Amino acid sequence: MANEDMKFMESHEWARQEADLVVIGVSDFAVEQLGDIVFLELPSKGDNVNKGATFGAIESVKAASDLYAPVSGEIVEVNEALPDELEKFKSDPHGAAWMIKVKPSDLAQLDDLMNAADYAEHVKGQ
Amino acid sequence: MERTLRTKLHDRHVELGAKMVEFGGWHMPIQYPTGIVQEHLATRKEAGIFDVSHMGRFIIRGKNALPFMQHVLSNNSAGLEVYESQYTIIPNGAGGAIDDSYLYRFYEDEYLLVVNAANREKDWDHFQQVLPQFSEVELIDQTKELSMVSLQGPKSKDILLGLMEKGELPDPMRNELGMVTIQGSEVLVGRTGYTGEPICFELFIKTKDVVALWDLLMDQGAAPIGLGARDTLRLEAGLPLYGHEFGIDAEGKEIPMLAVSLARFAISFSELKGDFMGREPLMRQFEALKGIRNRDYSLIKDLPRLVMPVALTAKGVARAGDKVYRNDKHVGYITSGTMIPFWQSEGEGLAARFIDEKGMRGICLALLDSDLLEDEPVEVESRGRKLPGVVVPYHLRSEAPPYARAIGFDQLHPAEEVIPDKETKQKVLTLLDKARENTYWRQKECINLIPSEMTPSAMARMLSIMDPADRYAEHKQVKAFCEAEVFYYQGTDFIGEVESLLVDELRKYFGCTEVEPRLISGQMANTAVFSAMVDYINRTDRKVEQRRMSHVMNHHIIRGGHLSAQPMGALRDFVARDPKTEKPAVVNFPVMADNPYRIDVAACGEIIEEFKPELMILGKSMILHKEPVAEMRALIDEIYPQCVLMYDMAHVLGLVGPYYQQPFAEGANIVTGSTHKTFFGTQRGVVACNYKEEDLGYELWEALERRAFPGSVSNHHLGTLLGLLLASYEMNCFKDDYQKQVVANAKAFARALRDCGLEVAGDPAFDYTETHQVIVDVGYSQGPDIARRLEDSNIVVNYQASPQEEGFTAAGSLRMGVSEMTRFGMKEKDFEQPAQFIRDVVDGKKGVKEEVAAFRRRFLDLKYCFSEKEFDQAVQKLHELI
Repeated sequence: MANEDMKFMESHEWARQEADLVVIGVSDFAVEQLGDIVFLELPSKGDNVNKGATFGAIESVKAASDLYAPVSGEIVEVNEALPDELEKFKSDPHGAAWMIKVKPSDLAQLDDLMNAADYAEHVKGQ
Repeated sequence: MERTLRTKLHDRHVELGAKMVEFGGWHMPIQYPTGIVQEHLATRKEAGIFDVSHMGRFIIRGKNALPFMQHVLSNNSAGLEVYESQYTIIPNGAGGAIDDSYLYRFYEDEYLLVVNAANREKDWDHFQQVLPQFSEVELIDQTKELSMVSLQGPKSKDILLGLMEKGELPDPMRNELGMVTIQGSEVLVGRTGYTGEPICFELFIKTKDVVALWDLLMDQGAAPIGLGARDTLRLEAGLPLYGHEFGIDAEGKEIPMLAVSLARFAISFSELKGDFMGREPLMRQFEALKGIRNRDYSLIKDLPRLVMPVALTAKGVARAGDKVYRNDKHVGYITSGTMIPFWQSEGEGLAARFIDEKGMRGICLALLDSDLLEDEPVEVESRGRKLPGVVVPYHLRSEAPPYARAIGFDQLHPAEEVIPDKETKQKVLTLLDKARENTYWRQKECINLIPSEMTPSAMARMLSIMDPADRYAEHKQVKAFCEAEVFYYQGTDFIGEVESLLVDELRKYFGCTEVEPRLISGQMANTAVFSAMVDYINRTDRKVEQRRMSHVMNHHIIRGGHLSAQPMGALRDFVARDPKTEKPAVVNFPVMADNPYRIDVAACGEIIEEFKPELMILGKSMILHKEPVAEMRALIDEIYPQCVLMYDMAHVLGLVGPYYQQPFAEGANIVTGSTHKTFFGTQRGVVACNYKEEDLGYELWEALERRAFPGSVSNHHLGTLLGLLLASYEMNCFKDDYQKQVVANAKAFARALRDCGLEVAGDPAFDYTETHQVIVDVGYSQGPDIARRLEDSNIVVNYQASPQEEGFTAAGSLRMGVSEMTRFGMKEKDFEQPAQFIRDVVDGKKGVKEEVAAFRRRFLDLKYCFSEKEFDQAVQKLHELI
């Protein structure tokens, strides 16, 4: 279940503010849709991301899906262990399966995203 | 476009929580809640069931069904026997495939063609277009009435056996068919599948009964598998999928059929098949392919790219459509690819076992330039990144049942064992010491129960290393000297005499007219006979291409037939190809339904009549009964007198006599054998015949002598020849006691094993055996492990696949022989303890090794040999000469 302070993109990425950073991952709904996750391609610490642009890919047996950045900024931390511990997506998609931590250039970008309730509505239709 | 179709199992899939998708016009499960990865793994370790009822099923019947099929299908449908199936492709006339398919022949006059779901309508329309060219062909679409479930994986056979009420499973070879009854419904069974699993079944059942069958299979532990895992399994097995490896490539061009290596088995250019749609372009592709196999690329334009397995060598996923590069040159495209799971394993060789951990690996099939070779590194462009990969011969191997074995790119070329260099003196001392240790172990501490082994007497062994062991004595009968033997070398008077005496002694033993002693193994003896047959049947015209034997009748290796007598063994270069089946023209002895170790004599007449074999080879490596020599003689004389009746006695050569059988008295023409199994000899081979000089067949004998020398040997190993003469004296002197005791011991051993609660094979009415052999069933695929444990306890036997098993790695039997231990003085009662030892080892009891060594100490003196004091001095003198 989504935490109340999490924000979501239509493309199922989530973002959560932690102090002055934004932590980014994919929702439990996305994990359920993808099925078995077999590969994760993450960017490097120090890279820049742009809101709405791809920053990596998450792959299941059947298909590869791009990951879209919910905010712009500099990547200050990457969950390096995650590509070798893909089972975390099933067990804790909103916590231990965080993917990158970004120093946002504009925190207000978070307001463009859906809150947990709106996201729940959004996926109900799918 | 009609609404999406549903199989009868559709609602079951939904109830099971499957994620459903549209596929080829059908609403099908792509995965169940377990997920693709777990479903793939479950199939490889246990068993999976797949609803494949969406595939098209067409019945083809009628007087002209065969000509129609020969025209529209790529394989030779006329070569398909009843209860067989074959891979066959629907060609489009331009060298490409309309669809790939499987043809099943469950009935004499009716064929079942299974096609891909997505192409069913296209295939049907195509056939309808061609049908008007043929009268009296019925084509019926039974996709709705007949449903299909695939059952695959190591446990699948047990599951099916557990559900069968009547009928027989198909023979344990791929493509064999059978019919069984499950809960009162008839189920057609094929040993076919799309997963690469060696234990595999595809089941056809009336649609009204399929849900009940599915439920039964699930109750027995089969896991439901969706289309997602179906695809990962077939990809790992390297199997093509229409739309990826057949059909249109990434550049919009038609993929030539022979780009797919499996297509080679689905295409026949046989004259009997005649012309068919697409024959010409396929022949051009075939010529190009033959060149490519020889690294001759002159015809490469007819087959510019081939489908090759590619393994990624770094973490990543390559998918269909990704470009492939070799040294920055674009060489092709991925046709299928993803990341798949595999079970990790521990242990080596036969002892390899799956452990509970999985790995993941990125694998693909790719359509690449035909001049790429195995092991060539390539790069795959995937989502903007270049992933390193390598061309591999396969991702998976299926020839070691009951498991399919994943082969990673890093396992293809195992590093050679480094033998540490040692000082010569050290090497010599180590060798001497280890030889002593090994000999002591086998001779003093083990119970030796391998049925093909024997310990020759010390006298025979001594003679084998005397001077003739290092000499030559080539000789030939010369007609100019009235058939006198002429020797090519000097110093051969002694050995020349030995050889004459040996022939004389063996003639007495067999009760026959001629013996050829120059062969140095049983297999060589057989090869010499086969070569002599070819020589003999061509003797009336030496100028033309010498033909091979047109048909040979033998025991199939699954039913214990000799390796020599199989097309893959010594027989290979001497038997012709049957133009109808395009396989070696070998026909097997039928066996009794209730006892696969006996020939079904009544059914042989028809086979001899139909095939007219030029050579019939009796004799087996797994042998519990007498061979029906007299009965075969009678059938041959009545139906096809030209057939040469050969008995490869190998194992039972030492039992020729009243306690087993006397083949020449029963009418055999030729007997071959190894002289070191039940016979007391040194390791050699021998051929004997009963042709008299006035017989037409005597010319076959003369051919045999030529094919022995100079055909098979120059040096015929005179040391063991000398030892064999002594062994022949021993045989002729002691055979009455020895043979009687061997058969009595075998029966006693069999009874003792049964009394210990072990499953003894054979007919209890005979006390299970009429030979020196005893066969015990220890459970499907348990053989290798138990044989190893027995060896660790000093009991040496060999594991053997029974007639029901798919291969030696799945062997469920132990094959044992009592002759060596009989020679060490064991009698009937003495076999009770070894039976108990074997039971103890099977049960996992500890400390058996010490008990076995203690037991063996009671049986160290070799019997049935010349051991009296009067020989001691003579033997001592021989010792002094070494």
